[in-house]
Amino acid sequence: MKDRIDFGMVGALLRKQRQEWVASFKKGNFNAVGFVFRVVLIVALVAVFVVFFGNFLDIYLDVMTGGAPHPQERLYEVLSIAYTLILIALIISAVAQINRALFSSDDMRIMSALPVGANTLYISKLITIYFGQFAVTAVCVLAVNLTAAAHLAQGAWYYAATALACILMPLLTLGIASVIALPVHAVKLFLKERFVLSFIFIVVVMAALLLAYAWVLQGVKELLFGDDLRYFFNERIMNGIARAVGALYPANLMAGLFVSRGRLRCALILLAVLAVCVALSAVFIRLILTRALRAGNSGSTSVHMRKRKLKGSRSPMAALIKKEFLTIFRTTDYAFSYFAVALVVPLMVFFCMSIGSSLAERLVAVDCNLELAIFLTLLFGSLSNVFCTTNISRDGKMFYSVKAMPVSPYTVIFSKVILCLIVTVLSQLLSAAVLAATGYVSVPVALFLLLVGVLFGFAQICIATRIDFDHAKFSSEPDGEIKESGNTVSIIMVAGLAASLLVGGAVVLARMMFALRGLAEAYAWVTFAVAGVIAIIAAAAGLALLMYRLKSRYYRFSGGLL
Amino acid sequence: MAHNVAPFAEYILRVDGLYKKYSKKADWAVENVSFTVKSGEIVGLLGHNGAGKSTTLRCLEGMLPFEKGSISICGKDVVKDPVSAKLNMGFVTDDHAVFVKMTGIQYLEFMADVYGVSKPDRERRYQELERVFCLGDSVYNLIASYSHGMRQKICMMGSLIHKPRLWILDEPMTGLDPRTMRAVQDYMDEYAAQGNGILFSSHALDTVAKLCDRVVLIRKGKQVSDLNVKEIAARDPDFDFEEYFLQNERQN
Repeated sequence: MKDRIDFGMVGALLRKQRQEWVASFKKGNFNAVGFVFRVVLIVALVAVFVVFFGNFLDIYLDVMTGGAPHPQERLYEVLSIAYTLILIALIISAVAQINRALFSSDDMRIMSALPVGANTLYISKLITIYFGQFAVTAVCVLAVNLTAAAHLAQGAWYYAATALACILMPLLTLGIASVIALPVHAVKLFLKERFVLSFIFIVVVMAALLLAYAWVLQGVKELLFGDDLRYFFNERIMNGIARAVGALYPANLMAGLFVSRGRLRCALILLAVLAVCVALSAVFIRLILTRALRAGNSGSTSVHMRKRKLKGSRSPMAALIKKEFLTIFRTTDYAFSYFAVALVVPLMVFFCMSIGSSLAERLVAVDCNLELAIFLTLLFGSLSNVFCTTNISRDGKMFYSVKAMPVSPYTVIFSKVILCLIVTVLSQLLSAAVLAATGYVSVPVALFLLLVGVLFGFAQICIATRIDFDHAKFSSEPDGEIKESGNTVSIIMVAGLAASLLVGGAVVLARMMFALRGLAEAYAWVTFAVAGVIAIIAAAAGLALLMYRLKSRYYRFSGGLL
Repeated sequence: MAHNVAPFAEYILRVDGLYKKYSKKADWAVENVSFTVKSGEIVGLLGHNGAGKSTTLRCLEGMLPFEKGSISICGKDVVKDPVSAKLNMGFVTDDHAVFVKMTGIQYLEFMADVYGVSKPDRERRYQELERVFCLGDSVYNLIASYSHGMRQKICMMGSLIHKPRLWILDEPMTGLDPRTMRAVQDYMDEYAAQGNGILFSSHALDTVAKLCDRVVLIRKGKQVSDLNVKEIAARDPDFDFEEYFLQNERQN
């Protein structure tokens, strides 16, 4: 029998998904503080982007080619590049969401056993994903297009096309994502229980991203320290940009719609691309669904480990730390977002230090390497510790089993804190070593940086763990894996960024003020005192928050999904 | 009496007036439940779906807090001295919750570490348990790759690695193959005969009738009866536990 799409059933499935979504906002399931922090974080990111993008447009739209400015042409280039980045981000996110919806959720296993056609089921999932993608697209495209319009006046068509782009872009990304979701799933399946290979793969991907990051930063450095930004965009560079933009399909076609570059041609080609994507995805849907339904019934592949006897006894604390390590290391997403990010932090600190240090010397002729290093160490350290926001939720229902074991609440909670702290110490140690080895700071100062970084990291780990303990949300996945970042992530990210900006910003400003008054040497101790004292206070406050009525709350814990 | 090796004087588990509710506005999920498990005794906890069996067991295991009452395991109060109380207990949950990113052997090591089992003891216990549960080389595989029944087996092995005085099992026979089910039943008999206590919940009335010395019936969170089925069966050879249970359910 042909598997036709039953639109009545699609409606019923969508209603079910809407009810689940609405339920997540109900009392008990909804973390209002976290939600507000998440909104604040998004608004702050958009505001920062608008300011920087606006300043860049001021310069770039005036760049001349052939001896004359061509602002519409420049706008076309900027929009093409911006849409390419948005499309890449949306495709990555759509692939992850499709795979999550089809291969990871219990929902799919239940639904696949009901008399619902596979295509109907898939379409209902795609529509839900589409709405999410539409929201993200709207924020990104509106931020880009409205900022651009504020710097270069546009007609009514531009605004109409912006609205159209918000609707069409997610369709395009979902079509492309449907095609590549299956190969990506195959790679994930291959790596899933090959932990070492998986870790190597993650490190290689991170190294590639770092190279790209270093390349971008090098470009930023050249831009900042060139004689004039306009001279940077010379004929050779502009020709290169034009060639690159010409190859950025289909983003350049979308940009073409806005800036009157053969609108009809662009629209027709885009429609053709959309049709091809839909046709291809229809073929892949069948393949994906067959695989998804099979995966739902067959469970995990069997990985045979080395035969051995039971090892000698460890303390409960050591056993819990080992358990925590295995859980993270053997879950690709966890390993990526924790170990790999922690390894990358030192290089991020170094790259940004190389720019910040030169910038400070050029702009205000002040050597504030220590202060900058404090700022960057705290900033990137806080980003790497965001992973600790799932310290409790990660255990899933096993948190209750551990609760039934003869271990004190302090042992259970601190086993998690200690593993996080080990990774933080290693990451901060590498950061300090890189800065000392490259001569940005002396060895004693590097040790001070390490101390401050670890103390702040400890504070953040304690706070993140406590917030997750108070608002634990256990996954309904068979392996208990947390697939979506909760609001706790936003809280910790905003708090970490605010702390690094306040402390780092304060010491950088103080150093500059003293230097401009010729008092830098006499007041060099201020940086050490301010950063040191605040770090100690933060660590003490974090520990106090974590310990506050921990024992009684632990024994009265009944959150999650039990 | 099947398990009268040790005198029934020692209470391994004592539950007095247990009350539990999930929220302030909710009704009692467990209301005034009291029973004991003595040395060498197998006690069954019976009731229909949602009667409060699993909630009672979770309170005993220390997973859930409770409002009123007291629970002591080998004389240790689970609220006042939780760590000592739990050292004497092994438990198997109905959802077979295990750390799926560990291999079977790593899970057993973890449990042995947490319960402080020495190296020679853990190796000996593992060999004993392997003879009962027969996981074979699968014990070296990731638990994520285990079937439902294999997870149940590794949970049971983990719960017994420290040879607890009290073994608590929630729906232990679910998912087991007939051979293992029989082996587990035999092992429960043997384990109780060694002077330990076993408390388990089940819907399998024939298993309960066959294994249990006593049965605690729960309905809508309330304890309905505490029957010494072995004694009744000894007095009345025609006593049919299944018929008694179903008749009782129909009457209420």
